[in-house]
Amino acid sequence: MKSVPLVAVIQFPGSNCEYETKRGILNSGMDSCIYRWNQCRELRDSQPDAYVLPGGFSFQDRVRAGAVAAKERIMDLVFSEAAGGKPVLGICNGAQILVESGMVPGWERGRIESALAANHISGRSGYLSRWVFLHVAAKAQQICPWLGKTGNGIIPLPIAHAEGRFVFSEENRERASSSAALKYCDEKGIESSDYPVNPNGSFLNLAGIMNDRGNVLAMMPHPERAFWMWQLPPWIPGEWGDRRDQSLRSGSHADTKGPGSLFFMSLADHFRGER
Amino acid sequence: MSLSDELKEAIRHRSLAMTLEEAEKLAGYVGRMPTPLELHLFDTMWSEHCSYKSSRSVLKLLPTHASSVVVGPGEDAGIVKFADHDGFSWDLVVAHESHNHPSQVLPVEGAATGIGGIVRDVYCMGARVTGSLDLLRFGDPLGNSGEKSRAICRGVVEGIWKYGNALGVPNLGGDTRFHEGYDDNCLVNVVSLGFVRHDRIVHSFVPAEAHEEQYVLILVGKPTDDTGFGGATFASADLKDESEKGAVQVADPFLKRVLSEANLNVLDFLFDRGIKFGFKDLGAGGIACVTSELAAHGNLGIEVNLDLVPVSIPDLPSEVIACAETQERYGLAVPEWISAEVLEIYNEKYEMPRLFPGAGATVIGTFTGEPFYRVLHRGKEVANTPVEYITEGIVYDRNWEPSPVPVIEPDSRPCHPPLDLKRMLLSVDGASRSPVWSYYDSEVQGITHFRPGEADACVIVPIPGCRAGLAVSGDGNPWIGELDPFLAGAHAVGEAVRNVVATGATPIAATDCLNYGNPEKADVFWQFRQGVEGIAAACMELGLEGEEPLPIVSGNVSFYNQSSKGGAVPPSPIVAVFGRIDDFTKSTDISLKEPGNLIILVGDRKDELGGSLYYRTCIGHRGGRVPAFRGKLEREMARFVLACCEAGISRSVHDISDGGMILAAAEMAIASRPDARRGIVFDTEMLDPVILYSETPGYLIEMSRESWDAIENKPEFLSVAGRVTDEFRIASSRWKMDLLEILEDHTSRLDRIIWREEVTE
Repeated sequence: MKSVPLVAVIQFPGSNCEYETKRGILNSGMDSCIYRWNQCRELRDSQPDAYVLPGGFSFQDRVRAGAVAAKERIMDLVFSEAAGGKPVLGICNGAQILVESGMVPGWERGRIESALAANHISGRSGYLSRWVFLHVAAKAQQICPWLGKTGNGIIPLPIAHAEGRFVFSEENRERASSSAALKYCDEKGIESSDYPVNPNGSFLNLAGIMNDRGNVLAMMPHPERAFWMWQLPPWIPGEWGDRRDQSLRSGSHADTKGPGSLFFMSLADHFRGER
Repeated sequence: MSLSDELKEAIRHRSLAMTLEEAEKLAGYVGRMPTPLELHLFDTMWSEHCSYKSSRSVLKLLPTHASSVVVGPGEDAGIVKFADHDGFSWDLVVAHESHNHPSQVLPVEGAATGIGGIVRDVYCMGARVTGSLDLLRFGDPLGNSGEKSRAICRGVVEGIWKYGNALGVPNLGGDTRFHEGYDDNCLVNVVSLGFVRHDRIVHSFVPAEAHEEQYVLILVGKPTDDTGFGGATFASADLKDESEKGAVQVADPFLKRVLSEANLNVLDFLFDRGIKFGFKDLGAGGIACVTSELAAHGNLGIEVNLDLVPVSIPDLPSEVIACAETQERYGLAVPEWISAEVLEIYNEKYEMPRLFPGAGATVIGTFTGEPFYRVLHRGKEVANTPVEYITEGIVYDRNWEPSPVPVIEPDSRPCHPPLDLKRMLLSVDGASRSPVWSYYDSEVQGITHFRPGEADACVIVPIPGCRAGLAVSGDGNPWIGELDPFLAGAHAVGEAVRNVVATGATPIAATDCLNYGNPEKADVFWQFRQGVEGIAAACMELGLEGEEPLPIVSGNVSFYNQSSKGGAVPPSPIVAVFGRIDDFTKSTDISLKEPGNLIILVGDRKDELGGSLYYRTCIGHRGGRVPAFRGKLEREMARFVLACCEAGISRSVHDISDGGMILAAAEMAIASRPDARRGIVFDTEMLDPVILYSETPGYLIEMSRESWDAIENKPEFLSVAGRVTDEFRIASSRWKMDLLEILEDHTSRLDRIIWREEVTE
């Protein structure tokens, strides 16, 4: 591993969250570089320590969101690195790519066991932007390098997607449950399958899933949009709302990290532990 | 056939908008019967949309100069200084356009291309685009044409999210209003903003270096098709029926996103190499306009070969290839010797031909020392005209005739505050806009501090690491417009300024879009003049930086907004104001914070309820006496609000507009934390409709009693209106209105009417 871990951000045609994702990584004390979809050699040669697939609309969401990007040559490299245990994070469209490539839940190599389907909300279709609340599955916190520092609290993050509903076949209910990493809940931590607590009808209220080993995480909410406390809406309730008020009062609002930073800081911590 | 007859015939059979006199002028310029391409090129150049031929003489009234202005109106976007950070000066780039007619005919595509076009105007100045706003005016969703108005609203919102979200530009709100005057002609105004390093501003003309060395014209983007052929002309005539769909372009945000990344790469490459270049987006008039303008504004000629233009439809006539308004294209003027490397970035590095069939970059023309615009196609010369005529333009002095609206006030004004408040909160104009915003991505790029609805203006922190925040708001009230066109202009500026000021930001620039009916009608042209005069008057008063006016740095005029029956839309000047706050962490939102804090009323209430939400919603009368514009007072109030923010004593601030003080108070309560609900109790009985409902400009500020007591020499326009409570209600000593019982209704009202079609009362 490098003395300062290098986290590669993969830019596909149509990605649009690559720059703020890179900033989040840099602000967590790691190094980061954006690689274009056709820079396979450059990516391999730079030997990154971890990979992030950022949000956006890769390849125009042709066929299904993430489906075309999952077949790009650069994903072969990400796939084999993940198999070797390197941490991989897919955010929003990145999560869709990980699902379409079979890397999560990844029960059998190369098999696609899940899908991210169109949001299912009675009487409403299309894109949905809103802030949601999440809690982290206990097992995930132990084995996933992106979640080690997330704690037991309720995490507010924004979602922004039209296709974010995790779907599994009913017979895989139990297995899917063991792949759960992040689940939607209300501001007090209580799960519900009803809108808006579960904002898209996701199976088991899943907001993020991981592979068995825990090194690959696919999440629909955007941590990079809540990296700083100032990115939180003024109305956010609960612990993070209190912390936001406090950072405002203490004059440290510009530099106080928000709930989204936990994911990137977890990875930095994971690398410190390895070293 | 005489030349005149030939021209008449050409105008008829090509559906040109130009007059016979204009066509004869063109024939005089070229000394023969103009070619079809020349006719279409000049038809676009001399269209109202491009030439401002009716409006130009009036627009001179607007203040456009201030020491912060880097580029005023004239280029694709306006530029003002913004902030210095890390050794670089950063400038704000802004543009404002309308896409009204296309959105009425094809709402999804029309609204999408509206964003597509306006962001190109900002991109082509070399900027990264970091925000867009949509100022939307729809017909009455519950009126006679309700079904159509609702469908158009849904379509426009869909077009905005499908395009804007994919492009990765945060949506910074804007406003949505409904008025039966828009039943046959919706308004879709779009504002776009971005930031550019001062030393890397790009201009839309071929540089002077092209006189010394050979420059070529690279066309990049989507392959040319026949979409949008005649688009500018379409925007410059009455909307006859909905058969004109061919004039609407088709947008592609995916291609645009890749193209934007590639463009930034190319511009950086050229700057790093110290190469001078010109860059311009393709909008109205397509290839013909971009090539001729790049050349003409650089005092050069150009020879364009249409055989080299990648097309997606075979055998298109010359004038269609040259003038179609296919989206997602730019023109780039670079030295010939570097062109191969530029093409490589687009075509190899960013693989544009692989990502979109036929897309990519191609050299299609060479700049020439002889000042002629020449176009070749299939071995023939299809245009040849001196470049000076292309940009010369034409001006008309239109007749105008005052047509003021008589002032008629209602006979009685019953006042039942809880009931009135409830009606207003549940009216289509007073209901929460969150159902609209829920479709928009307001947070992509990770720079958003206040999203739509959280504060009076959206606030972004656009330059990573720099504390300077940008606040932006767009406003314009059709109810004032139909009663007093001058005050519509003045208050459009005033309200946008107040919204920006309420967040703690100082206005630094404004843009306008002037939406009116047929300028050839004297009463309409009077409304237009009045609107411009109103904007000018307000801008002269409301510059808060030193003694300079607030400069209008970009804008657009949209005439012919009327139905086939001839009724013009309400006079609709729409203004966007941009403000800067040096430390964004000091900016204020509207949510009530602390029980016991005082609510300070800034600005006495006056008996001027004409056009108010109360009149319309609670007594079914539009009234006549609209709020006066008191520039000096507005300025002093704004200075006071900014001083409070700077001193850190304002805990929440909300401007008073639609629904008056009571609605402002309710909105502040509704914005409070769900686990710490707040309300307001007024100090007096509060049974006077003037105090409660007047839309006289003003603000409510929440501050502690200590802060209030510490203010020395309190200006006369201040008074204590009430205090914050921990009960989720608005109350006085005589009445109370619990907000929890209407919260869900207020929040979902538009969703239920517009999207779920729950329209039975």
